[in-house]
Amino acid sequence: MSQPVVHISNLNLRYRQKPVLQGLNWVIKRAENCLLCGKSGSGKTSLAKAIASQVHYSGTIKINFDASSALPPVAHYVANWYQFKDLEGQSNFYYQQRYNKQATETTATVKAELESYGRKHQLDFSHAEPILDALNYTALLFATLIQLSSGEHKKLQLIKALWLKPQLLVLDQPYNGLDKLSRKNLNQLLENITDAGTQLILISNEQELPSCINHYAEIKTGELHEITAEDRRGHFEEIVIKAVPEFLSKAPEVLSDSVINMIDVNINYGDKQVLRNINWEVKAGDKWVLQGHNGSGKSTLLSLITGDHPQAYANEFYLFGSKRGSGESIWEIKERIGLISPELHWYFDPSATVWQSIASGFYDSSGLFCDPGYTKRAHTDELLSYFGLDEYKNILMNELPLGKQRLALLARTIIKNPELLILDEPCQGLDQQQTLHFNRLVDELCKNGTTLIYVGHFESQLPECIEKRILLENGAVKSVENILACVYCDEEEHIVQKTYTN
Amino acid sequence: MSNYFNTLPLREKLNQLGVCDFMDSAEFLDGVNALKGKKLVIVGCGAQGLNQGLNLRDSGLNVAYTLRREAIEGKRDSWKNATDNNFTVGTYEELIPSADVVINLTPDKQHTAVVNAIMPLMKQDATLLYSHGFNIVEEGMQIRKDITVIMVAPKCPGSEVRAEYVRGFGVPTLIAVHPENDPEGKGLAQAKAYCVGTGGHRAGVLRSSFVAEVKSDLMGEQTILCGLLQTGSILSFDKMVEKGIDAGYASKLVQYGVEVITEALKQGGITAMMDRLSNVAKIKAFEVSEELKDIMRPLFQKHQDDIMSGEFSRIMMEDWANGDKNLLAWRAETGETAFEKTPAGDVKIGEQEYFDNYTLMVAFVRAGVELAFETMVQAGIKPESAYYESLHETPLIANTIARKKLFEMNRVISDTAEYGCYLFDQACKPLLANFMTTVETDLVGKNFNAGKDGAVDNRALIEVNDAIRSHQVEQIGAELRKAMTAMKAIKTA
Repeated sequence: MSQPVVHISNLNLRYRQKPVLQGLNWVIKRAENCLLCGKSGSGKTSLAKAIASQVHYSGTIKINFDASSALPPVAHYVANWYQFKDLEGQSNFYYQQRYNKQATETTATVKAELESYGRKHQLDFSHAEPILDALNYTALLFATLIQLSSGEHKKLQLIKALWLKPQLLVLDQPYNGLDKLSRKNLNQLLENITDAGTQLILISNEQELPSCINHYAEIKTGELHEITAEDRRGHFEEIVIKAVPEFLSKAPEVLSDSVINMIDVNINYGDKQVLRNINWEVKAGDKWVLQGHNGSGKSTLLSLITGDHPQAYANEFYLFGSKRGSGESIWEIKERIGLISPELHWYFDPSATVWQSIASGFYDSSGLFCDPGYTKRAHTDELLSYFGLDEYKNILMNELPLGKQRLALLARTIIKNPELLILDEPCQGLDQQQTLHFNRLVDELCKNGTTLIYVGHFESQLPECIEKRILLENGAVKSVENILACVYCDEEEHIVQKTYTN
Repeated sequence: MSNYFNTLPLREKLNQLGVCDFMDSAEFLDGVNALKGKKLVIVGCGAQGLNQGLNLRDSGLNVAYTLRREAIEGKRDSWKNATDNNFTVGTYEELIPSADVVINLTPDKQHTAVVNAIMPLMKQDATLLYSHGFNIVEEGMQIRKDITVIMVAPKCPGSEVRAEYVRGFGVPTLIAVHPENDPEGKGLAQAKAYCVGTGGHRAGVLRSSFVAEVKSDLMGEQTILCGLLQTGSILSFDKMVEKGIDAGYASKLVQYGVEVITEALKQGGITAMMDRLSNVAKIKAFEVSEELKDIMRPLFQKHQDDIMSGEFSRIMMEDWANGDKNLLAWRAETGETAFEKTPAGDVKIGEQEYFDNYTLMVAFVRAGVELAFETMVQAGIKPESAYYESLHETPLIANTIARKKLFEMNRVISDTAEYGCYLFDQACKPLLANFMTTVETDLVGKNFNAGKDGAVDNRALIEVNDAIRSHQVEQIGAELRKAMTAMKAIKTA
């Protein structure tokens, strides 16, 4: 029992010639479940991948599996990124693809994917069923991989890991995109498998952790430090927001008083109704939060607004005062919207540099395909600095940690100073400090009359300017509320200390 | 109906073969205006039909689909594709009479029947759009004189046409107006607007003619694109197995090798592909490809001659009339080859290893691309058109082999291309029999550099580099790749 489970000594790891981990030592004993902390880019993911032998490193990492355990003697890593392939082995997808229908399926169903995973690891499908139930996934078994939202892909990764029950489980940002109930259920499942003998290393910025977490460590300047739970909560530095660049502090041009007006909007996939009788009007200057569980229809609703859903043409709704499908092009719509979503990030051109990604916001393209010219170049440079990304200017997106990629895409979202901002979980992958900072920036931008639709599962992480809330449930509008006073938001399903009127 | 090209005097033949203009982006500033408010009706809703239609609608155009009554009543895939995406679907009788533009995106073989069915229904002064000129040029279909006939041909599979559009880009596209059917002179404006509607204008547009498109397209697909990739793949696999290389390894090397090798071709032409080899291997690959060019030149010329004279389409249409007897026999034969039947082994092959251990394929690709290009240019096709139909498309076809071998390649390409591919393959294999007896495993299966002193003679290397770089396909290629919008320039900056 005295033998450590994970014994890391003098670990050195470089990324693109830059040292990330330097002489790192770490000992994890049996029954210790660790939370691994550190700022974005500090090397958390690199360390996790090294433990799972997925990257090259120097030094030693020794994992002593328990020979007497019935659990598979493996260190299983669940990445903060998901990937999947179509039936032909390609993964050249685009984020709008799940809304287009094609008679011949190009990707496997969830069930086929799980069955093939089960065969590979010799797992019994009946053992997966309670996990599927707990994460509310049974209804998705016959969905195809391309149809899943980012939260649903995240759950699929977790289901596989929990089903495998490895001796050592390393989870990198597992809560991204999960709604409150799913986060709670995930924590319960993690309690269960650690009780049954799995040891856990968790990377997360989340406040609500499973109670099995009993050790805390932080990576700082390439080394690992044991910390306490209190250290981790830490104290926040006062957030000082830099003056917003001048080109973003002008009021965007507003051409219509009504930004969105949906009249009895319905979306069906075969027999399945995804949106039902949606009536929703957004006026210029409104600040909305859009909420609902995973699968409640939020992404589909937003895809109608951003010109990404073909069924928009079969519904009655108005965007910027014009009826959708009356001869406008989607590029004319996108020109007026700044959009970020988990899916946009996931399918973004990985071979674009940070600078190109930011500049592509002027054209609403995934990657940059033309020379933006002097003014737009200058604006891109300014925003690059504003987001503290100068040193990453010419680095490719897929060579950066998720948090940095996300910052670049947030800069891309606002660079046009659009009249409508659609921020679908904009702060996924950011730490608390960065999240607060970005939300402050959103508050600043919105002072100029920008219309805002904000999606966030974490209620403590909303901008202050939010004044209206629409809640979806099973594809229908459950409630629409005005938020009169904003005092403080907590983590509960309702923003209890805010006051609502119907 | 008689072959349209053969009815032309030589002067007009050369004139039409010579239409070739890489269009400036300023030509597309009018956007989709020439088609705005017009009623576009697409015949057929397969991969090209559906994806082009989705793009056109998202560009603000009015799009509907017309299908044969049986497809609608049987709720076939084409009907599902269209209705699931909320398009109006109707029979020919319901939709064609009010259409301003009818877009024929059915397979070549059905063109005569489809056009004969829809033409009487088309209204006065409407437009008929093709994406391939076979029906007009080779079958000599005569279109009513009031109808404008144009072509817009995205040079990518349908799924890519959609993917690139929603990313904010597009795929390279070829457009043409049929000189016999442009009564109001509106053809070019409409073709350009259609091209903007599908996003093609962002990725480089080549103005061509029906004649130039058909004669170059047929030549490219029969020789380098499909024919030679098939022959080279089968011969390489058989050679490795004969020499005792593990069949699983050989299968994987051949299946994926051509894709990896031609990725270099896509980015920097023959030069970049050859530069991936060591100096010794490059000199060897050069010598081998020169030898291959000498052996295969008469075959490439025969294919070009038969395409120009109409002999190729005559015998293919004979096979159509014969229930596709030859096509089906050759397809079955391809399915039975050892390469096709041996699954790729579970071995890791590094990116560089595909070049070092498959130098023979590098030689095949150089020989095939240069020969196809040279033969087309000698026959009066302009270098830009010849580049598109040889070097440009090779990596796209190679991708299909990587997916599911030759079966997949032949499934994805048109029946016309498949027929020509087999025709070439049947003749090319015996032609290369003697050459193949000289091939050892250092050219295919093992690392060419293993056990060799890497030294080369400076002058020999300079000469080889010079010959590769100064070839016309490299010079025109460098220009066109740069012009295919600033994308490449910016992306590599």
